[in-house]
Amino acid sequence: MDARVNSKLKVTTPSDFEIEMTGEFDAPRRFVFEAMTKPEYVKRWLGCAQNPMLACEIDLRVGGAYRFAFGGPDGHVTTLEGIYTEVTRPDRLVFLERFSMPGFTSDEYQVTSTFVERGGKTTLTTTILHSSKENRDGQLNAGIDKGVEPAYERIAELVATME
Amino acid sequence: MPADPLSATFAALADPTRRAILSRLALGETSVLELARPFDMSLPAISKHLKVLEHAGLISRGREAQWRPCRIAPVSFKQADQWLGGFRRFWDESFARLDGVLEEMKVEEKKVSARGKRRVRAKEK
Repeated sequence: MDARVNSKLKVTTPSDFEIEMTGEFDAPRRFVFEAMTKPEYVKRWLGCAQNPMLACEIDLRVGGAYRFAFGGPDGHVTTLEGIYTEVTRPDRLVFLERFSMPGFTSDEYQVTSTFVERGGKTTLTTTILHSSKENRDGQLNAGIDKGVEPAYERIAELVATME
Repeated sequence: MPADPLSATFAALADPTRRAILSRLALGETSVLELARPFDMSLPAISKHLKVLEHAGLISRGREAQWRPCRIAPVSFKQADQWLGGFRRFWDESFARLDGVLEEMKVEEKKVSARGKRRVRAKEK
């Protein structure tokens, strides 16, 4: 689990088929929506030290496609590719996505992002709906970093994040 | 163990009673009777939950005593923890950078609107 105490990200599994992520941002939702849908912004924030972003293409309209590519520590490339099925600026975004890495392409899953603004702050809720529990677990599994030994003492924290 | 132990782990964790049982066991091993006490549930119902947790590899049950003490099995927790860990790390790092981008967008908009106001004032003069 993340080392930072005040992690702003909440990850839950509300049902066997879903993963839900919630993030809070100190900005109006029109900015959050823009930052998540324009390549010039997305390139600047999406990715992590182990998986830096290599490519970012976005055609933001219903039926339009996008493609994000990320590098990996052993040189392999991971991509997220999909089609937008709903674009309601600035409050809702729905797309169908597949995740691929060398030798593996996932089944399609549906991602719904909602942007709720209150007092100038935005809550972003992203729900990833898989067609089966195995597929959902497979996606989570793909994020494993084998080099990290998380503390057994964090059991309470893990259970708390799933409530 | 089931074919996909991690799926069983997450299915087991999806139930609030089972999470409560695990929270209790995190404090130390105990008996089924002791575990059942805070819940408004029959012993067979609690035993059923324990079987799911045991099947998922989240707890183990002693054979050494008549009361078969229940305890946490740390290995499955490590796997489940790593799992969420990778996913979280990716999004946590991304969102931290997104905060920076949003700050810049706010500053940029203020500059643009200040320029706009100056222009309006210049016209009025």
